[in-house]
Amino acid sequence: MATRFIRSISTRLTLMNMLVSGIALLLACASFFAYDQLTFRQALVRTLSAQAQIIGSNSISAILFNDPQAASNTLSALRNSGNIASAGILTLDGRPFAQYSREPGNEILNVPAIAPGDLETYSFRSTHLVLVRRIVFEGKPVGLVYLRADLREIDDRLKRYTLIAFSVLLVSLLIAMVASATFRKSVAQPIVQLAETAQIVTRDKDYSVRATPVAERDELAVLVDSFNEMLREIQRRDSALQKAQSELEQRVFERTSELVSANRELEAFSYSVSHDLRGPLDSLNGFTYVLLKQHGTKLDDQTRELIEHIRSSGKRMTDLIDDLLNLSRVTTSMMRAQKVDLAEMARSIIEELCRAEPDRKVEFIAPVVEEAYGDARLLRIVIENLLRNAWKYTSHHEHARIEFGRTTREGKTPYFVKDDGSGFDPRSADRLFKPFQRLHSTAEFPGSGIGLATVRRIIQRHGGDVWAEGAIENGATFYFTLGSPSAGNYSV
Amino acid sequence: MRKVLFPLNQSIILIALFLLSTIYAPAEEPRPSESQVEAAYLYNFGKFVTWPADRPYSEAFEICILGKDPFGLVLDSTVAGESIGNKKIEVKRLADLQQATSCSILFVSSSEESHLATISDVAQHLSLLTVSTIRHFAERGGTIGLVAQQDRIRFEVNLRAADQCHLVLSSELLKVATRVIEAPSGK
Repeated sequence: MATRFIRSISTRLTLMNMLVSGIALLLACASFFAYDQLTFRQALVRTLSAQAQIIGSNSISAILFNDPQAASNTLSALRNSGNIASAGILTLDGRPFAQYSREPGNEILNVPAIAPGDLETYSFRSTHLVLVRRIVFEGKPVGLVYLRADLREIDDRLKRYTLIAFSVLLVSLLIAMVASATFRKSVAQPIVQLAETAQIVTRDKDYSVRATPVAERDELAVLVDSFNEMLREIQRRDSALQKAQSELEQRVFERTSELVSANRELEAFSYSVSHDLRGPLDSLNGFTYVLLKQHGTKLDDQTRELIEHIRSSGKRMTDLIDDLLNLSRVTTSMMRAQKVDLAEMARSIIEELCRAEPDRKVEFIAPVVEEAYGDARLLRIVIENLLRNAWKYTSHHEHARIEFGRTTREGKTPYFVKDDGSGFDPRSADRLFKPFQRLHSTAEFPGSGIGLATVRRIIQRHGGDVWAEGAIENGATFYFTLGSPSAGNYSV
Repeated sequence: MRKVLFPLNQSIILIALFLLSTIYAPAEEPRPSESQVEAAYLYNFGKFVTWPADRPYSEAFEICILGKDPFGLVLDSTVAGESIGNKKIEVKRLADLQQATSCSILFVSSSEESHLATISDVAQHLSLLTVSTIRHFAERGGTIGLVAQQDRIRFEVNLRAADQCHLVLSSELLKVATRVIEAPSGK
């Protein structure tokens, strides 16, 4: 991974160096070549022009006196100038008069036309320079000189230059490579190390590593320092966050266990209190019963009435303690979830109530509802409590109507128990479900004030919710929902 | 110093060149006649020869023909309108050698072969460039002898004769001569 960085950045630096120096050198060489070519060609043309002039003036008499041999002799002097491939003297109309060729066969090829008014013309062919010049004698043209110089020299020159240029280029590139090694140390290396460090941080989430500081005080050093400072800051925050989190967890754990133990103690206390209270109470009840049965006849009416009061108070207290024990059990007992037909359950409870008080005229409506899912024993306590309440608070009415079913309320589908009894003050709705909170006097409606607290506790354990609606003398409706069993929101 | 004093007239040189060029194109154009070539030579010699400073004797550059005229109108048409060294060229036909005083070039007709010695004397005296088609003319004291050689007209030069006539011949002229009879060394 590290080598990849090194290769990429330092290679790019090296390439950059080599590219820049290479291009600069190539441009310099190219312009030099171009200039040299231009001047060399111009010089060649000048030389050739001078030669043409000399040959022309030496050939005048030969032309005028029709002596091609003499002209040929003049031309053959060109043997000494190595770059002339061929030459010729032509008459004004372009006919060859005398010719010379270094190698036989290619004396005069095509002759470029001289523009009127010009003395000479030349043209560069691929391998040759051809120059034609008028021979002028006494102000009058008498013929033409044709010279063809081969450009081997230019080619050789070009080859030599190319060789030199490439050598220089090679050496420069080598130097550029060496130079880039230095750059690599001072520029690429810190970047590479920084990248490596960043990778380690990203991969391992290890904020304790630091990039190697750079010796020189440049932008790279600033970058490295800033990076390290950033890491330090992240590390500091990270550890602070972790500390806070672990502290919080510890505190929550402590509080939870404190609460749990306090709750247990409280429950144990209330259970034992309830349980222990029953013993003396049973004695009290038992003895007053015996007193009335065996000695009732001996007592006067007033005394017997007092003892009856003691007995009924004792019975109320027994009920109260039973309810408390129930509540305690509801809170602590294990839950076994299963399918429960709540409507069927409600019907059986109402039947029981009717048997107990056959004189009451109560209309009970319980349509078939979908089976609920929960602890059958606990749910029976819920239904029983709610129906008993309804039964109880409709007792002053000659005709009562109690309904159990399922409805839709605010996006929920709660079960409900509805009666047309004495109802309650809606402002006190909150207090309904608190233990020992009663909205009616015991004289008016007997009760312990624990039933609805038990209901709420059971519903809560089922992950549901319970609430009541009602008005004074206008009936009451109790709604409850049950949490979905699959959601796992049963609090065990 | 040899000095060419005579400017060319364009039409003449064109004609001369035309004649020259036709030599190399026998199939395409009629060959110029011998007399046409000789006429052109006669005119061209004038450009490669320097006469003594006290010459000319005449306002015109006179080309004179002694004896029977072999050219007819050819020579006249060749030099018509031309000039050498700012002098108009005139063609004169001499009945007598006595009339040669104002001549620059003297063409000696073959009819005068028997008077060559006299002609040479007069030429030396008057600085005349003598030209002739007479055989071995240069050897026999003339300055330039025209020679027919392999279908072409060439010429021989006698530098001794030229020297005696106080004429300076251009080296260019000597270069194209078939034969140059040298002046005695030491002079």
